[in-house]
Amino acid sequence: MKRRLLLILIALVFTLTASILISIAVGSADIPLKTIAKIIINHNHVSLSAEEVIILQIRLPRVFLGVLIGMALSVSGTTMQALFKNPMGDPYIIGISSGAAFGAVLAMQFSYTLVPLMAVICAISTAFVVYNLAKVGGKIPVNTLLLSGIAVGYFLSAITSFMMFKSGENLNQIVFWIMGGLWNANWNQVKIIILPIFIGMLALYIFSRDMNVMLLGEESAETLGIDVETLKKILLIISSIITATAVSMSGIIGFVGLIVPHIMRIVVGPDHRILLPTSAFTGGTILLIADTIARTMGEIPVGVVTALFGTPFFIYLLRSRKSSY
Amino acid sequence: MLNVKEIDVYYGDVKILEKINFSTKEGKLLGIIGPNGSGKTTLLKVISRILKPRVGTVLLDESDISKMRRDEIARKMAVVPQETSISFPFTAMEIVLMGRTPHLKRFENEGSKDFDIAKKCMKLTNCLELAERRIDELSGGELQKVVIARALAQEPKVLLMDEPTSHLDIKNQIEIMELMKRLTKEDRMIVIAVIHDLSMAYIYCDEVMLLKDGNIFSFGVPDEVLTSENIREAFCVQASVKKDPLTNSLSLVIPRKEKKRKIKEKGLLKIHIICGGGSGSTLMHSLNEKYEVTAGVIHKFDTDFEVAKSFDIDVVSELPFSPISDEKFKENLNMIKRSDIVIMTDMPIGFGNIKNLYSAIYAIENKKEVLIIDETPIEERDFTNGEATEIFKRLRENGGIFLKDTHKLLNFLKDFFEKNKK
Repeated sequence: MKRRLLLILIALVFTLTASILISIAVGSADIPLKTIAKIIINHNHVSLSAEEVIILQIRLPRVFLGVLIGMALSVSGTTMQALFKNPMGDPYIIGISSGAAFGAVLAMQFSYTLVPLMAVICAISTAFVVYNLAKVGGKIPVNTLLLSGIAVGYFLSAITSFMMFKSGENLNQIVFWIMGGLWNANWNQVKIIILPIFIGMLALYIFSRDMNVMLLGEESAETLGIDVETLKKILLIISSIITATAVSMSGIIGFVGLIVPHIMRIVVGPDHRILLPTSAFTGGTILLIADTIARTMGEIPVGVVTALFGTPFFIYLLRSRKSSY
Repeated sequence: MLNVKEIDVYYGDVKILEKINFSTKEGKLLGIIGPNGSGKTTLLKVISRILKPRVGTVLLDESDISKMRRDEIARKMAVVPQETSISFPFTAMEIVLMGRTPHLKRFENEGSKDFDIAKKCMKLTNCLELAERRIDELSGGELQKVVIARALAQEPKVLLMDEPTSHLDIKNQIEIMELMKRLTKEDRMIVIAVIHDLSMAYIYCDEVMLLKDGNIFSFGVPDEVLTSENIREAFCVQASVKKDPLTNSLSLVIPRKEKKRKIKEKGLLKIHIICGGGSGSTLMHSLNEKYEVTAGVIHKFDTDFEVAKSFDIDVVSELPFSPISDEKFKENLNMIKRSDIVIMTDMPIGFGNIKNLYSAIYAIENKKEVLIIDETPIEERDFTNGEATEIFKRLRENGGIFLKDTHKLLNFLKDFFEKNKK
């Protein structure tokens, strides 16, 4: 059993590496593999050729950004599903997406450079408000949390829609941002999000066994020595931060955070000690491949690709297991 | 040692438990019984610190649990909840291993020692063969055994169980109760279990707590707590408790509900039963539904007396082991006078109840139908040196109707009833 899981993990790491290499090679500009290898190994030129710019400044940062965001969304989604004991859980469940969208659209009224910052601030503030709305006598009942997340989400979406309605020629930009995509990827973005996302994922991994116990129900978890309320707080904070960080750079990419945990639970089982790392690698791979496809199909939004190709695959896995889960 | 001191619990403004005070110690199996909503589950939740009481403390080995860390409590106390639903596909073994959580450090994985403990606990609850099965595909009973194994894997000193046998068939119920008994006696555990089955509580518990409306109604050894009076008052039922000294077990006698309605009906046939020593119990049971039944003279604490009481049957009773007094004898004759039919069962007859035979004679003299069950011949149950046999002869000569057994008697009554209707 253990050996099988290790093999799966190795296979996933290998797949991710291979996907990264392929994605670098694929694109509208036809650059031979040999040239690509040469550019990556040996690029300390003062002035870059056009090919070098495409590889180093456009494709590489976009590849890494895709992997990072895929990982962040999948890990966060897995955590939320454990926290809510609900298969419908996803990274955006406590209003982060609507908060981020609200922040981004608000920022667009003034300056495009403010978009990521406003998105992350509004996303985290929304999570904070939702959390406090749900608090009853020092405890957060997950159903109340879920419902206040939905309620606040609708409220913010209403404001966002209103701003969109009034925004005139900016509408295109707003719609694109809300659909999510990696069009503007650059190294700066990678640099900003890599640390929060990696630290956040590691921090969540520390609590992976506690997440297993949480699935037994909160009262049972308490009698097994877990401080449930503290754990919920920690998980919510960390997963809100990594989701908000990811969203601030890419807009709202759906599907990955919801589906990847399910796929991996079917493949490796529900134990979070193996589920979290495998979800991270698979999430990174899936978003990267989807973005590469989106790129080559004329820059369609990546969310369209993930849903279009991911859903049939997911349904196939679901049906082939037969039993419910 | 577990001390519960002055606990008050509220849900909002509703008081659930009030001034709960008790203690129990190693080696005891404490059963909590009581009607629905009396606070049994709440009490368990307070002891395990899932709920905080508004007032009061729970002391585990002298230390206040509200000041202990959760994992510290979990190493000493385990809980088997009323309902467990796990919708994620863990194997049974993985679930039991989760019982080791409080013993593991943050980055520590389960080692071979933990696997051994988990296996041992699954063997104890008889579910080791389920180890690799998916938890969400087990039956209710199988799941319950796995959850109990998980609790045992915590290696607790105190085990709290909320209706641990509610999903189990009778074989598994007995196995789990035996296991609980063994854990208290051999491993010196404290086991506190909410139990609905009063006979299980009577057989297995060392102590029983009866809760009613959030208060301790009664607390003590099963014999003290599980009395007819307590059960009637706490559960508001007409049932009575019957203890069998031979098997040291307890059963509940529940009367049919129709009695009170029947009394009001006019023209109901009145039957008086002369019985004793348990010989009339079945008759009272089957006749009480259709006829107005009285009985006497029966000695107090006789099985027939208890049954009559539980059916709310009017009965003339005499003090235990005393001969029937003239006063009671007359009272019995008055009852006979008012009845249409008199039945005498084949009870043993000694000097204590010989007057009951004279009542039968009186009945015949007063033109009553006197039915006498004669399954065991009188010679075999005459402990009066022949006096009873003599009276029997007179009964036979004067028109007593002798019937071979209860079945024949019931048939006779049916015919008699039909005839009377016309």
